[in-house]
Amino acid sequence: MTQQFIHPMLPQTTHDELARQNFIQTLKGYIVGQVSPGNKVVYEKVVKPKFEQEHQRSPKDRHEIRRLMQDEPYYQWWSALRRTHQEMMWESVACSVERQLPKLIEQAKDQGNTLGSLSLDPNFKIPAYQTAVDIHCMPGSYHGESTADDVAAGAVYDRGTYIYGMGWLGPLSDDMGDSLVQNYLKQQYPDFHPAKILDMGCAVGHSTLPYVDAYPEAEVHAIDIGAPLLRYGHARAEALGKRVHFSQQNAEQTNFADGSFDLVVSHILLHEIPKPAILKVLRECYRLLAPGGMMLHVEAPLYRDMDAFTAFMYDWETANNNEPFWSGMRDLDLVAVATEAGFAPDQVIQTFVPNGIWRTKTPNKSQTPSFSSRGTWFTFGATK
Amino acid sequence: MQKKAKGKRPVYFNDPQIDKLLGITMALIGEVSVLRERLDTIERIAAAKGLFSLAEIEAYQPDEDTAQAREQLRSEYIARVLRVLQEEVETLNQEK
Repeated sequence: MTQQFIHPMLPQTTHDELARQNFIQTLKGYIVGQVSPGNKVVYEKVVKPKFEQEHQRSPKDRHEIRRLMQDEPYYQWWSALRRTHQEMMWESVACSVERQLPKLIEQAKDQGNTLGSLSLDPNFKIPAYQTAVDIHCMPGSYHGESTADDVAAGAVYDRGTYIYGMGWLGPLSDDMGDSLVQNYLKQQYPDFHPAKILDMGCAVGHSTLPYVDAYPEAEVHAIDIGAPLLRYGHARAEALGKRVHFSQQNAEQTNFADGSFDLVVSHILLHEIPKPAILKVLRECYRLLAPGGMMLHVEAPLYRDMDAFTAFMYDWETANNNEPFWSGMRDLDLVAVATEAGFAPDQVIQTFVPNGIWRTKTPNKSQTPSFSSRGTWFTFGATK
Repeated sequence: MQKKAKGKRPVYFNDPQIDKLLGITMALIGEVSVLRERLDTIERIAAAKGLFSLAEIEAYQPDEDTAQAREQLRSEYIARVLRVLQEEVETLNQEK
């Protein structure tokens, strides 16, 4: 099994805490590999033929399929199991983080500002769309704090997302940034040398750090709304020897000057915010980019790129994993939104970038059962 | 630290009590796995230190007294886990 890279900020585990987290990963593999595929069998062999017999047509979209499937005991058990698993996953990490929280807070303070920087805004207002529910069912969400200088959300996120994906983003959970750099930017734009880079919605900086390595001359900034994520992310970057300037800012409206960046990126940010906020973020990207600059947003694929049943399975996240904006984003006409934000329609990029670049760097590791069979990152962006 | 995620938890089964029961059962299944892993650690350390080997564990034959004591342990364990099933009959017997 691929292991997470143990950097100095990563919460340590006791024997039983690790065993509990191992169980959660194995259980996820079982649910994804052994239980999830059964939904399609139930749909194809039972639900769909029955519907076709009654209505002389196939179910037309993911909404209709959901209404049919939610009465099926198999789907109910699978859903309940996934939800329960998600809750157990956060619990298995949170109890471990809580035990060592004072030590993690001290460690984060000790990292200092030797390379990059951390700038928090004590008057920062968390947008209402992020406080209605705790995204991904992570208790306290990404901005919640229970003590001074709290880093718990960052520590829980770092370990929890690794377990969630069973390591699919690599030992440093950096595949979205790394694959975008190595499999897209370096391939398609070999002469592009951005002097200033901004990562929006950076969380703990998982995807930010590959840009530091790829463009060593560049000044790399990363923003997020969650203070505990940023404290942890800053300490993590320092511990890993990467120079990043973290600041607490909303990507809808930042304090950077017009035209100050050559590259603005985000990684699975857009589906966590509502449509009006997406438009504002894209407008902000346009304002922040220098002429000739580029924005790139890594996302999961749009519904138009999948069949109705696959879309229905994806849509599970919306109501069952506290992903209120997950489906809204996937139904957007991105060319229209980018155009509304100021970009020229013929400068809009929509592409699928091969993922998993980290696998080529660690060829000796045996493969974990893959969280997802999809081998690409859907990437949306534009040049100015 | 906050324990519960903000937001309404969906109900999956016709009786919401079954949802709770699944949560309890899954937590127990997880803890059994944790215990099994700890035991595995003990076995491996013991083998590494030459105290006893995995093969010795597999070849172990309990004597009569040990077998009886284990039978007792298993019976008590099963009765404890399935306690709730006995209560209905016990209640009926109390009413008589």
